[in-house]
Amino acid sequence: MRYSSQRVAYWYFLVAVLLFGLQVAFGLLAVAKYLGPDPLRPWLPFDVVKAIHTNVLLVWLLTGFMGAAYYIVPEESRVDLYSVRLAYVQLVIWTAMGVAAVVSYLLRWTAGNKLLEQPYPLKIVIVVVMLMFLYNIGMTIRAGGRLTTTAGVLVAGLACTALLYLPALFEFQNYSLSIFYRWWTVHLWVEGVWEMIQGGILAYLLIRLSGVDREVLEKWLYVVVALTFISGILGTAHHYYWIGVPHYWLPLGAVFSALEPLSFFGMAVYAYYAMRRSGLTHPNRMALHWTIGSAIFSALGAGILGLAHTWPAVNRWTHGTMITPMHGHMAFFGAYVMIVLGVITYAMPGLTGRSEESRETSAGFLAFWLQVAGMFGMTMAFAAAGVTQTYLERILGIGYIETQLKMQVHFLMLAGTGALFAIGVALFVWDFCVLAGRPVPVARLDGLAPARPLA
Amino acid sequence: MTKRSTRAFFVASTAVCALIFLALTIDTHRKIPALTNQDALDAMVVAGKDVWHRYNCINCHTLLGEGAYYAPDLTQIAAQRGAGYLHEFLKDPSRFYSEDRDRRLMPTLNLSDQEIAQVIAFLTWVSKIDTQGWPPRPILVKGSAVPGAVVGAPAPRPASSDPVELGRVAFSSTPPGCAACHSIAPGVNIVGPSLAGIATTAADRIRAANYHGQAKDAAGYIRESIVDPNAYVLTGPTFSAGGRSLMPGDYNQTLKPEQIDQIVAYLLTLK
Repeated sequence: MRYSSQRVAYWYFLVAVLLFGLQVAFGLLAVAKYLGPDPLRPWLPFDVVKAIHTNVLLVWLLTGFMGAAYYIVPEESRVDLYSVRLAYVQLVIWTAMGVAAVVSYLLRWTAGNKLLEQPYPLKIVIVVVMLMFLYNIGMTIRAGGRLTTTAGVLVAGLACTALLYLPALFEFQNYSLSIFYRWWTVHLWVEGVWEMIQGGILAYLLIRLSGVDREVLEKWLYVVVALTFISGILGTAHHYYWIGVPHYWLPLGAVFSALEPLSFFGMAVYAYYAMRRSGLTHPNRMALHWTIGSAIFSALGAGILGLAHTWPAVNRWTHGTMITPMHGHMAFFGAYVMIVLGVITYAMPGLTGRSEESRETSAGFLAFWLQVAGMFGMTMAFAAAGVTQTYLERILGIGYIETQLKMQVHFLMLAGTGALFAIGVALFVWDFCVLAGRPVPVARLDGLAPARPLA
Repeated sequence: MTKRSTRAFFVASTAVCALIFLALTIDTHRKIPALTNQDALDAMVVAGKDVWHRYNCINCHTLLGEGAYYAPDLTQIAAQRGAGYLHEFLKDPSRFYSEDRDRRLMPTLNLSDQEIAQVIAFLTWVSKIDTQGWPPRPILVKGSAVPGAVVGAPAPRPASSDPVELGRVAFSSTPPGCAACHSIAPGVNIVGPSLAGIATTAADRIRAANYHGQAKDAAGYIRESIVDPNAYVLTGPTFSAGGRSLMPGDYNQTLKPEQIDQIVAYLLTLK
C-alpha cells in the first residue's frame, strides 16, 4: 500500500465479507426448505429467503468491486484518493441501502422482479451511490493525470454497471418486454461488464503477483475483454429463447453463447501464462490461490457449465430446472466471489501493515480449500438434481411434485456440501476479522515502503 | 501485435456487436405485440402482473421458465387448471396439497377475490404468449402424462366409496392392469389405444356403420369392450391382429361385476 487513502478499502472489504457470511447463512436456510417440511414457513417463507440470498450476493460483490477500485485506482494513478470522506459517506449509505433491502424483504415489501426486487426508493439510492463512487474515482484519476489500461478497464466496468442498472428503473406493462430488459441489467452485468471488472482486477493481481511485464498483460487484457463482449452482448439471446420474442434470437443465442467460454478460457490461459513466467514466487500465497482459483473456476462454472445448457435444443428441455443453479452457483463463485476474495487477500498485508509471510494463516488456506471443495460438491448435487428433473419432469412428463420428491437425495447432498462451503466462509470471515489484524493508523503508513516495487 | 492493435480490435468488435444488438432490439419491439397478444393486454392483466410482483411469486415459481425452482412452472397453469380451480387453490392451497406428503406447501397469501381474479387474468394472458414451442411437452404440477410412470408411489387407495373413485383406483391397479396398456393422455398409445375422451368417442362409435355390437349407449359400449373386446375391433399395429383384438378376453371371469361397474363409471368421466 502506497497511499494512506487506500485504507478506505479495508472498510469496504469488511462490509463485503460480513455480507458474504449473511448470504451463505440464507443459502443454508434455503436448502433446508428444499428438504422440508418447513416450520418457519408462516414467518420466513422460501421466496423471502431466496430474495435475500441473491440480493445480498449482488450487494456484497459490488461492495467488494468498489473497495477493490478504491485500493487499485490510487496505486495505478499514483495519487491519493480524491475524497476519503466521500468514500466513507458512500459506504455508509450503501450499507444502509443493503440492510434496508433485507429488512424490506422480511416485511414483504418487494418489487417482485427476479434479482431486481429492490423497492423503487432503494433503486434510486443505488443509482446515487454509484454516481458518488464514479465521481470520486473519476476525480482521482483526473488528479493523478494517469489512467492505466488495468484501472481503465476496471473503472469502465463499474461505470457500465451503473449505466446498465438504469433499465431496472422502468416499468413495462408487457411482461415479455419487462423480462427482455431485465436481462439488460442481469445478463450484461454478469456476462458482460462484470467480466470486465474481473479482467481488470485479474490483470492488476497478475501484474503484482507475477511480475510479468505490464505492457504484455495489458495488451492481452484488451483481447480478453473483446472476447467477452463479442460473445456476451449477442449472447444475451440465450435468455430470449422462450419469452415471447422473435425466433431469430434462438440461432443467435446458440452461436454466440457457444463463444462465451472463450473469454473465460482466455482469462485462465492469461493467468497460467503469467504464473508460468514468474514461477509462483510471490510471498502472498493465499492471494495466489484465490487468483488462480478464480481463473480456473470461472472457466469451469461460467464457461463449460454455461455452455452445457445454452444450446437451444438442450435448453428447451432444461430451461427452468436445477440445471440453471448448477451453472449459476459455480459461475458466480468462480468469476466474482473468488476474484473479490483474491483482491481482499492480496491487499490485507498492506492494509494491516504486516509482512506477506506473517499474514499467512492455516485458517486462510483451509477457508480456500473448504470453499473450493464445498462449491464443487454443491455443483455436482445441483447437476444430479437438474439431470433427474430434466428427464423425469420434462421428458417423461412426471409431475413437478413427484419429481421433487425423487430429488430429495440430491438436496441432502446439497445440504452437506453447502455446510462444508459455509464452514469455509466462516473461516474466511474469522481470518479477516480476527487473525488479519486491524488497518494501521494513517500516521504510520506514509513512511512505509511498498512490499514490492511497482512493475 | 501491439497494445494499440488489440485496443482497436476491442473497440471495433464491441461496437459492431452492440449495434447489431440494438438493431434487433428495435425489431423485437416491432414484433412483440403480435407475439404476446398485446390486444388482450388490458387493465385487468396489468393489475394481475402487479399482484404477481407484489407477492414475490417469482422467488418460488418460474413463469416462462424464469424465476425460482422451489415451486412448479406456471406458464400453462391457466390453460391446464382453469379459473375455477385456481380461485379455490389460491384461497387455501392447503386444501389441495399437504406439507407432510409433498414436503412443501404454498403459504396462504390472503389474496382478495379481486386480486385472485387479476392474477388469473394475468396467467391466462401469459399462457397464450408465443413461446416458440416451449415447453415441448406439458409440464405437470402433479401426476403423470403416462399412467404408472410415478414409480414407487404408495399403492393408490380410494379416497371415498364413490364408484368413480373406486374405478379410478382399479384402473391403475394390477390386476387388472388396465393402465399398463391404456393411457388416459391424448395421443399416448402405450400398446392399447389411449382412453382420453373415451366417453365421447364411445357415443360416436355405436352410431358408426361398421359397429355390430349390442351396446345402446356409451356405458354399454365401454362395458362390452371390457368383457368382449372383439365386439368392436380397432385397427392398429399393436391393437389387433387378423381382425381379433389383442386385449385379454377373460375380464368377465377375473373381475367381479361390481369392479366392472366401477371401471365403467370411471371411464365415463373421461369426456
